[in-house]
Amino acid sequence: MTGLREKVEGGKRAGGRIRIMLPLGTAGAWLRRAGVSGQILSLIIVIAIFAIGTRGRFLSPANLQVILSLAAIPTIIAVGVHQVVVLGGIDLSVEGVVALCVVFVGLLLRNKFNANDVGLWILPITLGLGGVAGFVSGICNTKLRIPSFIGTLGMSWILWGLAVFVSRGQTVALLDTRFQELVTGTVFGIPLIALIALALVVFLQIIQDRTRFGRYLYAIGGDEVLARQAGVNVTRIKIVVFTLAGFFYGLAALFLSTRLGSSQAITGNNLLFPAVTAVAVGGVALTGGIGGAKNAALGALIVTALNDGLILLNVNPYAQEAVNGVVLVAAVALTIDRRKLGFIK
Amino acid sequence: MTTEKKEPMFELRGITKSYPGVVALDAVDFVVSPNEIIGLVGENGAGKSTLMKILIGLVQPDAGTLTLRGRSVTLKDPADAMRYGIGMVFQDGSLVPNLSIMENLFLCHEIGFRKFGFLSRRAMRETARGMLERVMVSEDQDTRIAEVTPAVRQMVEIARLLWLSRLYGQANPILILDEPTTVLTEGERDTLFAILQSIKKEASIILISHRLQEVVENSDRIVILKDGRNVTEMPASGAQITDIEQQMVGHAFTADRYLEDEQIVPDDEEKVLEVQGLAKRGAFEPISFFVRKGEIVSLVGLVGSGKEEVCRCVNGLAKADAGTVILGGKKLTPGSPSDAVASGQGHIPIDRRSEGLALGMTVAENVNLLVLARLRSGLLVSPARERNNATQWIEECRIKTPSAGTLCANLSGGNQQKTVIAKWLSSQVKLLVLDHPTRGVDVGAKDDIYRLVRKLARQGIGMLVMCDTLEEDLGLGNRMLVMKDGRLVGELDCPPKRKPSPKDVIGLIV
Amino acid sequence: MDSLGPGNSSSASEPGRARARRLRTPAILYAIALLVVLAFLFALGNRNFLSAYNLNTIASYAAILLVVGLGQMCTILVGGIDLSVGGLMSFISVLFVVTVKVIGFWAFPLCLVTGALVGYINGNILTRIKIPSFIATLGTGGILMSLALLVSPLPVVAPAALYGVLDIVNGSFLRVGNLLVLTLLIFVVYYILLRFTVSGKSIFYVGSNITMSWMSGIDITRTRNLAHILSSVGASLAAIFLSCGQYGGDPSLGKVYILNSIAAVVVGGTALTGGTGGPVNTLIGALVLAVMENGMNVVGVNAYFQQSILGAVIIVSVFLTFDRTKVSMIK
Repeated sequence: MTGLREKVEGGKRAGGRIRIMLPLGTAGAWLRRAGVSGQILSLIIVIAIFAIGTRGRFLSPANLQVILSLAAIPTIIAVGVHQVVVLGGIDLSVEGVVALCVVFVGLLLRNKFNANDVGLWILPITLGLGGVAGFVSGICNTKLRIPSFIGTLGMSWILWGLAVFVSRGQTVALLDTRFQELVTGTVFGIPLIALIALALVVFLQIIQDRTRFGRYLYAIGGDEVLARQAGVNVTRIKIVVFTLAGFFYGLAALFLSTRLGSSQAITGNNLLFPAVTAVAVGGVALTGGIGGAKNAALGALIVTALNDGLILLNVNPYAQEAVNGVVLVAAVALTIDRRKLGFIK
Repeated sequence: MTTEKKEPMFELRGITKSYPGVVALDAVDFVVSPNEIIGLVGENGAGKSTLMKILIGLVQPDAGTLTLRGRSVTLKDPADAMRYGIGMVFQDGSLVPNLSIMENLFLCHEIGFRKFGFLSRRAMRETARGMLERVMVSEDQDTRIAEVTPAVRQMVEIARLLWLSRLYGQANPILILDEPTTVLTEGERDTLFAILQSIKKEASIILISHRLQEVVENSDRIVILKDGRNVTEMPASGAQITDIEQQMVGHAFTADRYLEDEQIVPDDEEKVLEVQGLAKRGAFEPISFFVRKGEIVSLVGLVGSGKEEVCRCVNGLAKADAGTVILGGKKLTPGSPSDAVASGQGHIPIDRRSEGLALGMTVAENVNLLVLARLRSGLLVSPARERNNATQWIEECRIKTPSAGTLCANLSGGNQQKTVIAKWLSSQVKLLVLDHPTRGVDVGAKDDIYRLVRKLARQGIGMLVMCDTLEEDLGLGNRMLVMKDGRLVGELDCPPKRKPSPKDVIGLIV
Repeated sequence: MDSLGPGNSSSASEPGRARARRLRTPAILYAIALLVVLAFLFALGNRNFLSAYNLNTIASYAAILLVVGLGQMCTILVGGIDLSVGGLMSFISVLFVVTVKVIGFWAFPLCLVTGALVGYINGNILTRIKIPSFIATLGTGGILMSLALLVSPLPVVAPAALYGVLDIVNGSFLRVGNLLVLTLLIFVVYYILLRFTVSGKSIFYVGSNITMSWMSGIDITRTRNLAHILSSVGASLAAIFLSCGQYGGDPSLGKVYILNSIAAVVVGGTALTGGTGGPVNTLIGALVLAVMENGMNVVGVNAYFQQSILGAVIIVSVFLTFDRTKVSMIK
């Protein structure tokens, strides 16, 4: 039995390195298990730098409110994208799906352009639209066996083209303000939309931690072949994940267009990049199997805080995408598991 | 160790399975009784793996019957086998690395732990603790598999199989362990066998191992396979290792198959390859050897003996920690395959489809890969010279292909292998490392490859070979280096007609 | 489970062989057939389709597609992809027009060198920092896009005084537009590079089997860097041609070419798995797309809806050409 003891101690030793970095007892243990310590640290650093750089303006209640409210939609989208990334794929269809959903919101909700008014039915309609788009992406990936990055890229263009085609490139002003009030409202000074996003993140995190679906998701991300061997229905899980991502994009589209009070296809532009950056910054490894909803949300918060800080510092807005690009590449470089990839292509 | 007669619990009769060009199993019988440990031994390619794949439903036999607990069954897939209480612990593991021990234990079978749609952590934890105690794992059940030692992983796999058989209400499950001890330390090995002995009270265990000592010591009955046939079986108590070795390698030893007449006496003066004090931590200890011009040196040893790693270091595919590799008088840069190739070293890999060929490209393109710079006229590669070079080597190596422009994917295994060899020959190598050159190749093509190897030796190419069977190693080699546990333990001369017999060698290996 | 037994490899080879047999009819024949059918249909439907003016329009559009597609093809052949061509084209477009005002002709080499540098950086992010090309180039594409907007947030117009310099592209030679002559030249250069030089041929080997290439001593780092340089140079050339033709730079000019370039490559039959295909495939692919776009314009298909069709065409082409024997898992 001595051998057993040896290996037990060996295992402890392997874990020891990580433990030293977090000497904070239970809080440290929780963080280690949750795998978000690095993200919280980055968030603190970002906040500290901008707090100093803006002489405290960054930490003013008004600005914090702005950050929370701005972070909500990227969070919702990032949460949708991250599950696909956990599977080891990627979803580049965000902009197309959102554009199409936004256009349908504009045409179906009470507006200045036509006589339609579906009222609250718009929620299931946009979610359904997004879900169908995600489902098709999932079919492309699993049944047609097309790599997700190219399949979803193609999907994005298909849907974007459809969106502009359907809307004839016009901007439609919305008259229904119910959603707008919901989106811009606050509870105890906290933007309602941020609370909605938070609720979604918590809900999905529980699903990931406590259901069989969560287990299978991470099993596929860890090793698809082994997961299949163990009996996981890989195809079904993948399709579900893509469909769920579509739901999230649909919801984001509804919030985006109602917040703006108008609908146009280009609302969907420039959403993909922050979302993928948020996912990578949140510590969701592009190689799959690591990181949950909380990671995606933290990533979105970091990216939003970063961009907000840059605006406060009067950095050229056009430079922001460059900053995001650098952050994206750096984050991927830090989180990717190169042993899993063999030769990188 | 009791040897009382029991009712068989799983009976395989007349199992036959053939692959194109190879009969893997030929009317094999295999019986598993309750509460016993069966040692299954045989050389590489004897059919052990195929038999096990049939046992767990991964492969369907061409002929033969499976009778489980008195009823005839067919096993559709591993999940089906699992439901009958048959499972296997694989050599390279089947646990998902990023999930915890507990999550792996119950993966895909969590349904019993659900409460209101959510998984009850407490119930899972309790069951997991119980199962882990059975196999003496004291690791926290929430530790990720990636963070635990191979020994613990193995135990978790065993625990998973035991739990699953309990879940499906199968008394006396059958556990198959494929070379379980290769990744274990001395102490861990003892622990494993202690656990197996205790599990035996409620299960049957099939132990596949090359280490005969541990098979004899720990099993109740030993079954020996050779060339896809049952050779014999014997009770383990009182079995002699030398006896088993003799049965494993058999007597059929055909000298002329390997063209021993053509074996040349290499020139003593010129050493093509000199390896001095090469070492890699965790793989092999400092090793020195040489290969002379026109000499065939076979490197033998079990899986885990370090021979593969030695070859990888010689090839530059892996970086050694210490020592030098000198090829044709030039010291090679460690860890650089391009330097090794540029200095005149070739490598015929074990897996030609993924490492030897560009399958989507033509035979000509594959043959010409290494010599493109030589086929230039002026600055550009000349298509005419490309064509000539390819045609010349296709003839030289007897590659059977409709044309030089045929895709390699459309050739048979043997001809693909010949294409790999042709590629290296055309680049005028000084040293060739052949990693299982006849793996998965049919009989006719095997002979072609032996002929080619002899011809290469005549041309003065030094060769380092690792073969599928000991027979082949002995038959082809001028000299044999034996490795065990990362050390060079023996060197034997193999002069033609006076070759040592496999029996003499196998003692050194195991 | 690869280590289990000798039967494994031979049994696995059977379906592999069956699939590979399908490759015997090269994808390029399908592409050519598609081109002929499309041209025939559009010629039937519209008398002006075959007019000199219309053919010239098609050729000019195909030329741009071909130049950027030839570059994209190099990264796809080596087994990766370049999603930064959009950002790069936008950046080069504004950079070219801004610099041509100052240094005249020298803006041409300056932009090409800049493009090559971008390719070199893309390549090194892939080969040294080891980030998969699709995400690395997505990142650099974003950076380049914002650089383009930093140089000029709005389209810039080239002053009439510079039209002489732009005539290098806009002029004509023996009644054939310089654009077409230059494109033909570029095609020949890429063709020779890929088919008749050792470095170029290495791109095919690496794309077809990178492990084997590495083991056979091919410098896989250099080869993949080269592929990315070729890609960025192609995109830069296309951006310069476009800017000359429009007499101005536009920071939003590149975006559509991410998809268009990939479409030209895969429609021609170059597989996304790498190693199969080539310049002639891309030529056919560019022609197919140009004819398709022209035909759809004539028939009156909405310009944005055409983007949708393009997206679908890519998915279908990848579906048809992707070599699934090479990858065990589709991620």
